[in-house]
Amino acid sequence: MTVGRQLIFGFLAAAIPSLSLAKTPVFEIEIRDHLFHPEELRIPANTKVKLVVYNRDATAEEFESYEMNREKVIVGGRKANIFIGPLPPGVYPFFGEFNPKTAQGQVIAE
Amino acid sequence: MLLNSVILVLREVLEAAMLISVLLALSLSFRQRISWLWWGLGLGFLGSVLFASLLEVITDSLDGAGQEVANASLQGLVYCLTVAVVACSQQQAHGDSPRRVMSLLMASAVACAMIREGSEILVYITGFAASQEHWGAVYAGSAMGAGIGVSLGVLLFSALRALENDRTQFACIVLVAMMGAGMIMQAAQLLEQVDWLPAGLPIWDSSGLLSERSIAGQLLYAVFGYEATPSSIQVALYGASLLGMLAAYFFARGFRSRAIEA
Repeated sequence: MTVGRQLIFGFLAAAIPSLSLAKTPVFEIEIRDHLFHPEELRIPANTKVKLVVYNRDATAEEFESYEMNREKVIVGGRKANIFIGPLPPGVYPFFGEFNPKTAQGQVIAE
Repeated sequence: MLLNSVILVLREVLEAAMLISVLLALSLSFRQRISWLWWGLGLGFLGSVLFASLLEVITDSLDGAGQEVANASLQGLVYCLTVAVVACSQQQAHGDSPRRVMSLLMASAVACAMIREGSEILVYITGFAASQEHWGAVYAGSAMGAGIGVSLGVLLFSALRALENDRTQFACIVLVAMMGAGMIMQAAQLLEQVDWLPAGLPIWDSSGLLSERSIAGQLLYAVFGYEATPSSIQVALYGASLLGMLAAYFFARGFRSRAIEA
């Protein structure tokens, strides 16, 4: 019985990977003075990761990436969760839409 | 700073401007009054102010997924409203359905479509209001961006009105259907962003052919929801949304012809 249960749970865990949140790697970046810190983020390729973006500025910023299809407004002094990937190996630029001259960065999937 | 503001506001305004133009042209082709537009714009503006002022609360709700879920719901609602507009337009062709329903649907669609982008513009502009250095450029740039967006909308409207009436209606319905499906695709993307929908690898990459950053890419994004690297779920939902629209269109036509026979 327990073996059967284990099999069922094992199957479910394999079938619904998005539910096994514990395995999703988490990366953090900060926005300070309209700059991303770090500006370059290395993540595993073909893996979904959770990105936590802290906006340390007083004004809002919009995290945006055409290449990763992501777009989210982050109010000043707050944080936002953004799931990215799975991404094939490559370089994926992102920017702060409200301050695109300075707020530039890239994700490197490898 | 000036150019940034022009581009940012233009991008946000474009989508709503395209939708409004097509709905206006459709309205006029049925000799319907277009006073619904003022209701739609007014409600959209109020909604944007409310959304922008509650953005912190919305963002933190639902375990940090609130912003995406709220926006995706609004976009889903716009899709449902466009389906209803398409169905209603087929009834209206024979005057079966009261024009008020159609006006109400159109005003609601415009209002819902405005809230996300409108609130973004408000958050952007109010953020710079305190900065002595930049506010002039931000206001001027935003006004220019909005002006270009509205002009492109007027251009599309005039092009649609220049066609013969039957063709105007057909073109409007096709465009409304595609805009509605584009909304669903964007909603899917937002839900992937907060892991409410499983994200897969992109099934193709057409960014070399047509970049989303280019002007043509932006225009196609506003009208058809163009994505250079869509996931399989996005493409499947886009197709399903178009099918849903088609089903509503033929159902309404069938209903109408049965009503005429009876």
